[in-house]
Amino acid sequence: MSRFRKIFAMAAVSVIALNCSAYAQDKKFTVAFIPGIASDPFFLSMEKGARAAADKLGIELVWQGSASEYSPQTQMPFVDAALAQNVDALVLVPTDPDSLQSGVTRAEAGNIPVITVDTTVTDQSYLTSHITGDNVDGGRQAAKTLAEQIGKKGKVFIMSGSPSATTNTLREQGFREELKANYPDVEIVGIEYANSQPANATSAINTVLLNHPDLAGIFAIDGTRGTGAVAALRNSNAVGKVKLIGYDAYKAQVEALQDGVFTALVVQQPAKEAELALEYAKAKLTGEGTDKIEKSVVIPNVVMTKENFETTKANVYSD
Amino acid sequence: MLHGLRDVVRRQDVILLMLFFVMVVAFTAVNPRFFSVRAMANVLQDFSPVVLMAIGQTFVIASRGIDLSVGSVLGLSGVSMALAIRAANSVGMDPWVAIALGMSAAIGVGVVVGLINGLLITYFRLVPFVATLATMGAAAGMSLVLTGGTQIAGAPKEVILLGNATYFGALTVPVVVVFLAIFVSWAFLSRARFGRWTYAIGSNPFAARGAGISVERHLVKIYLISGVLSALAGAFVYFRLGSGSPLSGRGGELSAIAAAVIGGMSLQGGSGKLTGVVVGALITTAVLSGLILIGVQPNWQQIVVAALIAVAVWAQGLSLGGSRS
Repeated sequence: MSRFRKIFAMAAVSVIALNCSAYAQDKKFTVAFIPGIASDPFFLSMEKGARAAADKLGIELVWQGSASEYSPQTQMPFVDAALAQNVDALVLVPTDPDSLQSGVTRAEAGNIPVITVDTTVTDQSYLTSHITGDNVDGGRQAAKTLAEQIGKKGKVFIMSGSPSATTNTLREQGFREELKANYPDVEIVGIEYANSQPANATSAINTVLLNHPDLAGIFAIDGTRGTGAVAALRNSNAVGKVKLIGYDAYKAQVEALQDGVFTALVVQQPAKEAELALEYAKAKLTGEGTDKIEKSVVIPNVVMTKENFETTKANVYSD
Repeated sequence: MLHGLRDVVRRQDVILLMLFFVMVVAFTAVNPRFFSVRAMANVLQDFSPVVLMAIGQTFVIASRGIDLSVGSVLGLSGVSMALAIRAANSVGMDPWVAIALGMSAAIGVGVVVGLINGLLITYFRLVPFVATLATMGAAAGMSLVLTGGTQIAGAPKEVILLGNATYFGALTVPVVVVFLAIFVSWAFLSRARFGRWTYAIGSNPFAARGAGISVERHLVKIYLISGVLSALAGAFVYFRLGSGSPLSGRGGELSAIAAAVIGGMSLQGGSGKLTGVVVGALITTAVLSGLILIGVQPNWQQIVVAALIAVAVWAQGLSLGGSRS
């Protein structure tokens, strides 16, 4: 009898244990992922990466962000909503390092792990990790590639979007630093800001080409500026004569690269940033693989040209 | 004779034209490259979409309204056209048929948004500022929804040729069409009953109704014109870029309103001439390439443009005061 009871007890325990492990497998962690601006192509690529990773890792992904504006005022309500929903972890693209600090502090009070992606907050002590692309490095890569393509000497021009957005200013900084340090014979003849419309970049570049008929190269700082630059080169019959470095690898840009209008593209890996963020989030929540978490990760840029396209085409952003 | 000359000099559009020539001379003195066919070609290309939106704005403002949706209509019609052409191109349709299809899609957007504006204002009695603020937001959002925020490429070569091939150094097909649009609109506004009714409604809608003008029908037509002209601007920006961007046209309403105000349109309605607005659009677009050529720092450029708006409107105030005395 006692033997029977023992077996019964063992069976009961193992059933409970089994149930438990089944429960742990089924328990889906909910992770809120808040991009800078939901409609921006860069973040759309990040979203695709995040959704794929969430499916693979069995994470319930809540992807929500401001539809049309990259600002702390429009982002904050989404952070508040995520914290109120009591999500298991928060992945955040802070639109401002100081303004979003309060969101991180409140997450800390609620014991919700936070990972920042692309940009970060001022005080990073609580963050599980900070994953970013490197805009300064992207600018350097652009400068190096452009300088080599124009034979290390000549006039170049920077077509930027905004004098205040950090992605733009950091790329510009890297571009200027690299030329100053290693290419003394390359002269930057100017910079213009096109704000949001691509046609403004076309106008500015047409005018600069008129003023500097011997212009050797252009660095178009992001996708929108790139579209405007492509039109300007076609417009002024300068395709091939003027080397053009773009940023990001959307389908439209890659087509222009293959047509020979862009001579190179500096490509970020937003999908990879998102994937790593969700892997870290899961490791932190389950406690498995926490040793693999790095506090700060820089995802490198890839320089894509017509010549190396076969080996770099995996980096084209999904459409 | 002398009296006649003084009248000509006091005309607002003549004052603006003189301002424009002063500007051209000043820029050319600093950088002679400003006075060249290529510089003129650049200015004309920038001028085209702005003046199309500004013409629409002229009709609307003359009727004591405002149309804030023009920039968003430009964007939405551009991406609609890009999507239609890409789809047609991918099934191997003849490029010119594809372009015709795309044009219809673009103009269709202008008709729909213009009609909605007109009905919101006349049937639902919203003030024009609010009605067009609503459609401005909706159209901008729709561009993002349709494109998912990305550029729409995949245009056949013919699109880029049509937008960029120049004749006589400076004229492209869109620029020629813009000149035609200016002429037809000028005839409608200052030589036809349509224009007289528009100004009558702007001066006094009640008196206009009393005089037997069907105010509601006329207002719907005016917003339709504004929508269609903005859509045409969207098509031309698409021809120029060779791809449709959901960001095109953002803030375009402000350039259009600035051109109209510089051109002497009174926001109270009932007065102002299209010729002035056309020169206003020319000044606002030429000044930007001029400032780049003379090497003004980019952050200072918008301050200069803002000052120019103030000076232009002030100079016209002087002439108005003069004619009253």
